[in-house]
Formats: sequence, structure tokens, C-alpha cells
Amino acid sequence: MAATVLPGAKPAPATPGRPWSPRARFWAWWQQRLPVADRSTLTQRNVYILPTKAGLAFALTLLLMLLASINYQLNLGYLLTFLLAGSGIVSMHLTHGTLRGLTLHLRPAAAVFAGEPVMLEIVIDNPAKARHGLAVHFQDRGTHGPSFAWCDVPALGSETVRLSIVPAARGWHGVPMIVVESCFPLGLFRAWTIWRPAGRVLAWPRPEQPAPPLPASSPQPGERVSSSRAQGTELDGVRAWRRGDGLRQVVWKKVARTGEMVSRETAGSEGRELWLDWSAASVPGQGADIERRLSRLTAWVLAAERAGLAYGLRSPGRQGGLGQGEAHKRATLDNLATWP
Amino acid sequence: MNLTAWRHLPRDARDTLFLLAVIGWTILPHLLHLPPWCAAMAAAVLAWRARVALTNSALPGRWALVAVLALATGLTLWSERTLLGKEAGVTMLVVLMALKTLELRARRDALVVFFLGFFIVLTHFLYSQSLLVALSMLVSAWGLLTALVLAHMPVGRPPLARAAAMAARTAVLGAPIMLVLFMLFPRIGPLWGIPHDAVGRTGLSGSLRLGGVAEIANDNSIALRLRFFGRVPTPGEMYFRGPVLSSFNGREWTALAPSFPSSLQLAAEMQVSGEPVRYEMTLEPSRLPLLPLLEMTPNRADAVPRIEGWPLRLRADMQWQVERPVSERLRFEATAWPTHRHGPRENVLGLRDFVELPPGANPRTLEWAAALRARPGMADADAGTLVAAVLGHIRSAGFTYTLAPGEYGADAVDEFWLDRKLGFCEHFAVAFVVVMRALDVPSRIVTGYQGTDREPVDGYWIVRQSNAHAWAEYWQAGQGWVRVDPTAAVAPDRVNRGQSLPPVPGFVGGALGTLDPATLARLRDAWELVNNRWNQSVLNYSRGQQFKLLQQLGFAAPSWEDLAYLMVLLLSAASLGGAGWALWDRHRQDPWQRLQWRVQRALLALGVAVLPHHPPRTRAAQVRAQLGDAGEPLALELERLDQQRYAADGGGRPDRRWWPRFRAAASALRRPAA
Repeated sequence: MAATVLPGAKPAPATPGRPWSPRARFWAWWQQRLPVADRSTLTQRNVYILPTKAGLAFALTLLLMLLASINYQLNLGYLLTFLLAGSGIVSMHLTHGTLRGLTLHLRPAAAVFAGEPVMLEIVIDNPAKARHGLAVHFQDRGTHGPSFAWCDVPALGSETVRLSIVPAARGWHGVPMIVVESCFPLGLFRAWTIWRPAGRVLAWPRPEQPAPPLPASSPQPGERVSSSRAQGTELDGVRAWRRGDGLRQVVWKKVARTGEMVSRETAGSEGRELWLDWSAASVPGQGADIERRLSRLTAWVLAAERAGLAYGLRSPGRQGGLGQGEAHKRATLDNLATWP
Repeated sequence: MNLTAWRHLPRDARDTLFLLAVIGWTILPHLLHLPPWCAAMAAAVLAWRARVALTNSALPGRWALVAVLALATGLTLWSERTLLGKEAGVTMLVVLMALKTLELRARRDALVVFFLGFFIVLTHFLYSQSLLVALSMLVSAWGLLTALVLAHMPVGRPPLARAAAMAARTAVLGAPIMLVLFMLFPRIGPLWGIPHDAVGRTGLSGSLRLGGVAEIANDNSIALRLRFFGRVPTPGEMYFRGPVLSSFNGREWTALAPSFPSSLQLAAEMQVSGEPVRYEMTLEPSRLPLLPLLEMTPNRADAVPRIEGWPLRLRADMQWQVERPVSERLRFEATAWPTHRHGPRENVLGLRDFVELPPGANPRTLEWAAALRARPGMADADAGTLVAAVLGHIRSAGFTYTLAPGEYGADAVDEFWLDRKLGFCEHFAVAFVVVMRALDVPSRIVTGYQGTDREPVDGYWIVRQSNAHAWAEYWQAGQGWVRVDPTAAVAPDRVNRGQSLPPVPGFVGGALGTLDPATLARLRDAWELVNNRWNQSVLNYSRGQQFKLLQQLGFAAPSWEDLAYLMVLLLSAASLGGAGWALWDRHRQDPWQRLQWRVQRALLALGVAVLPHHPPRTRAAQVRAQLGDAGEPLALELERLDQQRYAADGGGRPDRRWWPRFRAAASALRRPAA
């Protein structure tokens, strides 16, 4: 997998301290070293291991036990001390083995509005024996919050772990570095790996709150206009459900009675088109603030979709088609999110 | 609690109860020798913690814990009179362990419990290293490791058995390292002095004080084991010589503090005759700097034991000294001559040290001795005659042998000799020596062991701490020092049969006593047989055995460095092995995936290009399309693999016979083409 630097992937020197302290330099160098990959298989090259504080305390306990055994000449004490020492050494290999061989990859994440949490699904594939006590979190927990997940991975199976990040602004965001670690079985050693996932997350502009009223829509030729139907919510009649009808359009009471899928037929769902104009989205007093406009347009897209209107985006240099439905909404929002 | 309720416990409660059970099991053996308040407190705290876990109520606050800890410290000071030393330390450890369970909030607290637990397991070995203790502590260590594993399985409700299996696996994999370390870790002496613990038991110490102990706890633990090559001495000859006590300050007997320059002090002047007794002794750690050898083991090249790292010295009072307290089990061979003479034959000035009595002490006994001297024929009598008279008095004056004589006051000998006449060997020996000295006969107290168990077990004669004994020696012109056992005058069984007299049985002892004594003795013998094997092979493993092992491995002159080299070498080999395992493990992958790769390569060789993610049935279709009828067997095999992989009970390992069949079909296809 080619290592490409993604837009939005910050260089992220997460360490506190002076910007170019040796530690920060080391971290920068370290992160350069790490390949960006959409799939990471854990081997000896990328699984690190060090004793934990508990491990050091254990070593101290063993030392005390050894001293007691020497001083009181307890052969059984030697036996116990060495049994625990042997178990400790073996636990180092077992801890490392808990991570080794696993493969991590990221499921494509659904886009969300900026400021809302996006759920990242990390799939851990296990080609061998069951693994226990894996912890998954972001490497930079200060910035991305304490999102933290424990999991076990069954033998020859896989497990999905969910972490969330909250993109602050619209646009593409790189997925922050993810740490998978384990102290299993004895907690004397901590093995961990750092993975820079190649995935990206799209954040749509934050919809304006409170939602502004929709701009006036233009009726299609030959269509009668009724102010009472401007919002397109009045019940006009029912028809058989067709592919593409939203869940809101379904007449659930009738469905429950008859067992047939029926949809409301509203005037708006059929015959109205709404152009969401870039220039019309200017916010009074805010001048030409792009983000404000995008927020307003986003809110309009949501309202138009809710109203069942056919809508399209009209902006300088970009002309989207008219349309309706989930796919059209997403396309439009994606368009807004990636506004230059 | 029944099993269903246990299954439905919330995980936290279950884990806590399990840990409490392990802790309870770990401290249980200590409760026998700890003060009763400590046992009660530990039990109460553990029960309280279990209740908290079951009812999911709040843990007590920090101040409550501090108050209980302060109370425990006060009680320890009150019952042990110190906070240092073995007993007080163990008491405090047990209390701390119990209290720590009330603080199990974070994982860090749990880790403290685990490490304290391992240390408490070790402290049991200070009291006993028997097989039984070893087995029960193995269970404890396993339980603690299981709880540790459980603490690192945070997801779901893992079954205890899985955590226990994981802990066992870790320990079993670590066992080779344990063995290498155990066999090769250089055994060195104690790094600093061990505080002596004042244990009121039978057994040897370097001094003797009458009257302080009202009742003596009979300690049936083993002091030493003997194996004889050839003649076995009679029970009356089984005297093992320990500290010789010659100086008396009115309360306490200690080793001689000579008042003469060394040229005038007594010499050993050993003379042996008769048939020697060759024996092997396995001495338990006594924490005394001496070897209680069979009387008399002379300072001769063919008789003296030779122990690696333990230089020996024979004192003038025939006591074999070593340069530091015996803190490991020692095994050695030596030769003794039950018939012997020692000490000066002539009356020399140095003997005056052995008639010293503190002025003013025991005045009535001195009067009694003066009255004996005044009897007709006694004024000029020799030592032997006087001894016979005194022993006759002991036999006839209503003395009683008992292990519970009650406390004696300041002039203990007066009280014993003239009033109460209740005592055990120490009382008789001390009173006898005081009377002899009052009669101006040089005499001294010898402590040691006397007698063995009635029958040998597995060829070993066992001497217990309860065989500890005190007797006397008086000096006779022309003969030197002569042994006399005043206890034998009142309790001949004690000496002739070599049996220590059993104490009045307590509650438990009384219940056990209703069993057939012969069965009981047989059971004990069988158990001690196993225990002796354990002792000889595991507990007795010391520097001598280490060097012997090295010699067997081909080291001509084994040394410490060799031990260290070998240990480092083996451990390095073990870590290389670990790294090798990791390397091999890296190439391990899902067997289905590996098969997928092999199939892809095999098909490529036949000219069928398939994609890695295609399932076998897609590949089968491709084979049919590209190879036609010739590829039919191959396609069938692929479909069979597909069925296996996606069967309802699939997810197991692939059938081992499948790949050879597939390969055979593939090569059959290639042959006509070639």
C-alpha cells in the first residue's frame, strides 16, 4: 500500500513541552517512520514491549523474596521465587504473542456533521489462538478524547472495535494514530503497536441552528401553487410504495392495518423544485463568510429533504442536479463539505 | 452458596470472592501460630469484604482502615512485644493483607494484594518446608496467578477455568527456567544476621534458664536424621552433644567464661576405645553455630565430618563448632566411639571453674549439700560415691517428671529440690550440678538430644526437637569427665527407650489419641517416608549437590563461576528459544488462508489466474470455464473445500487430507500437458 499523506492528516507532535525539544524531534522522526497503511499486520517489527510499573514492582518483590530465601536458606523459597520469575519471563512472550499476528483494518466510516462524533470501526482479524485483553485507543488521547475500547478476539475470528472522534470542521479528516495494546496475561509487560490508518473521514458542514426557513421555491411549469402546500406536508392521497420513498412518506397506520406498503402522495414530493443558491445563503451581518453560508446551505438541504422537495445546489462554478432522496442528500452534503 | 447462584453472580463480585478465597487459603496455615486476635481480625475482615462484594455496598472509608490498622499495630506490639522479628512481621503482613482487600478499588490496589500474597506464601516456608506446605502453597500461588490473569481479562465474564488454565500454562512454560535457576543459582550463606526468635519450644539454645517457662510446648518437628553403617548404638548410647553450659549467674546457665589464662584451661584430652559407630547425619537448620554429633566424635581425620564450606572446630568441652549458625540442611558422615574418656585425669587448677556457684543463690540447697557431706562416710567420699548418693535421693524423695512443672521463682533450684519436686530434664540436670558443685565436685550441664524414634523409617533414624535433653557431667579423678543423667533416676523410660515423655494431650491431641496408636504411628511413618524423600532431593539441595551436579556434567573442579556461566548460558539459550518461537509464530497464519494461497499458486501453474479473495466455488467455476472437462476433478475438489469452509459447523481447521488430494488432481492435469 502506497504511503500517501492525506489532506487533514496533521503532523501532530502530541507531546507536551517545547515545540522542538529532543522529544518532539524524536516523535516527529518516529511518525515519519511509520507507514500510513489501510491494513496493518502486527509483527516483531511493529509490536513494542516494555515492563509496566507493576512489572517493576513484581521484580522488586522477587528480589525481596530472593533475599529472604538466601538469608533464611529456604530452598522452597528459592523454588517459589524462581517459579514466579519463570512465569514472569514467559508472560513477556505471551504478552507479545497477544498482539503478534493480528491484522488491523478500518471500515469506511460514514460521514457526519462537523461537531458530531464519527464512529470508527476497527476490525481486528486473528489468524490463530484467541487473544484476550486488547485495548484500543488513539495515540494522542489529549486531543481526541479518552475514547477507549477493550476487546477479546476469538480464535480464527475477528472482532470489531468502535472508537469515535469528533471532527471540529468540515472536510476530509485523517484518522488519528491508533494504539492497540495489551498487558495480558499477568500485567507485568505492556505490548503495544502504533498504526497510522490510511482511512479518511468526511465531515459535512455543521447545519445552522436554529434552522433558517427555506428559500422560496419555484413551481414547475403547469403546476398549481398553493401556499398551504408550500411545506409539502399535507396529505393529498396515498399510493403504493415505490422504491425511493422515504420512511416518513410511508403511511404506517395503513400499513399496520392492511399489511401493504403505502406512501403518502404529497404535492411537494412530486411537483416542486428548489434551487439552493449560494448567493441567497448569505447571512445578514456576516457578509460573505463561507462557513456560515455552508452551514445555512446544509440546514436547507436537510429541510428540503425533510419536506420531500426536489432540490439542487446552485453555486458559482458548481451546478448540481436536481434530485431527492438519501443518495442525493449525501452527494449534496459531500459537495458542500469539500467546498474549496 | 449453590452453584447456580455462583454462576449468576456479577463478574466483579465473583472475581472478588475468588480472590478472597485465595487469600483465605494463603493465610490459613499461619493462623495456627499467630495470636488469636490476628486470626479473628483477618477472618472478620475477609467475611466483611465478601459481604460487601455480595451486597454490592460501599467499601469503608480511609479513616476506618487507618483506625483498624492502628489497632492491629497496637495488638501486635502487645502480643509480640515488638514490631520486628519473624512472628511480629508475619502478624503484620497477614493483617495488612486482610485490610488491603477492603481497599480494592483500582487495579493498582489489586496488584499490591497479589505481591503481598506471594510474599506471604514465602513466609510459610520460615515455619515449615514440608511437602504438605509446599503443595498447599502451590495451590495458593496458582490461585494468585489466576486472579492476576483474571484482572487482565476485562471483557465479558471469562470463566475461572480459562484464567486458571492460562495461569497454569504460564507457570508450566516457566518451569524449565525455574529448574535451571534452582539448580544453578549459587547458594550463598545468609547475607546478614538473622534475629533470634524467642520461641518457647523444646529444642536447643545456647543457654538455659530455669523457671521461666511454666509449660513446654512439645515440638515434634525433626531435628536430625541418622543412618548407621554397621552397628546401631543402643538407645542408652544415643546422646547427641550440644552446647555445654558451665557458667551460672544465679538465673541462667551459659557456656564457660574461663577465669584462668588459656594455658591453665582444660584441654579435650580425648581417648577412645572399643568399636566405633559410623553414621550419616542430615541436620535440619538449627540456627546454632554447632553440630550435635553423636558422643563422642573425636578430632581424628577418619572420624571428623567434612562439609563443603563449613570449617569445623572442636572446643575443649568436646563441642563441635561451626563458624556461623547452621541455616541450611547439612548432610555429612562421621564416626563416633560410644566408649571414651575425656578431660584431665589429674586435678588441675582449671577445674575450679566448674565448682563456681553464685554467692547467695539457692541457700537451702547448699545447706542440704552440707548436711549430706556431714553424713557418716561422706566427708572424704569420692565423686562417684557422692553422685550415687544424690541419684539415690532423686529416686527416693518423690520427684516427678513432667513437662508442665509450673513457674519457678528466683531461687528455682531451692524450690525444685526441696519443695515442689516437679520438673523435666533441665530441672534435674541443673539441680544436680548445683548440688555437686556445693559438694565441691567439678560438674557441668550438657545439652543436646537424647534418643530417637523407636523404629527407623526407610533406613533413617529420626531425632526430633522433642528429643532435646539436658544431662550432667562430673569430674572424677583418674577418669576425667563422666556422664550422668539425673533424669534417668526418676524417669528411666526417658533415657532407656529414648522416648520423650508425651505431654498432657490438649483438646485436639485428645481426639486424635482415641485412634489406634499403632495405626497412627504407621501413618506418620509412611508420611515421613515421603517427606524424607522430598527433603533429601529438594530441600537438601545445597552447594555440595550443585558441585556434584557440575562434576557429573564434566567439570573437573567446579566453582561458583562455573555455576554462574552455566546458568547464564542456559538462560541465554532459553531466550534464544523464545525469540525463535516468536519468529516461527510470525509466519503462522490462518490455515484456511494458507490453503487459499497454495491453491492460488497451484492454479496459476495450470494457467488459471484467480484473485486472492475468490472463494473456492468461484475458483471451481473458473477452472471449469478454462480447463473444461479435464479440470472437472479439480473443480470438484474445490467445491468440496468450499462446502467444508462454509459448512454449518465450519470455522474449524481444514481437513488435512484435502490438500494432498487436490495436489494429486493438479499434477494429473499437468502430466498430459508435459
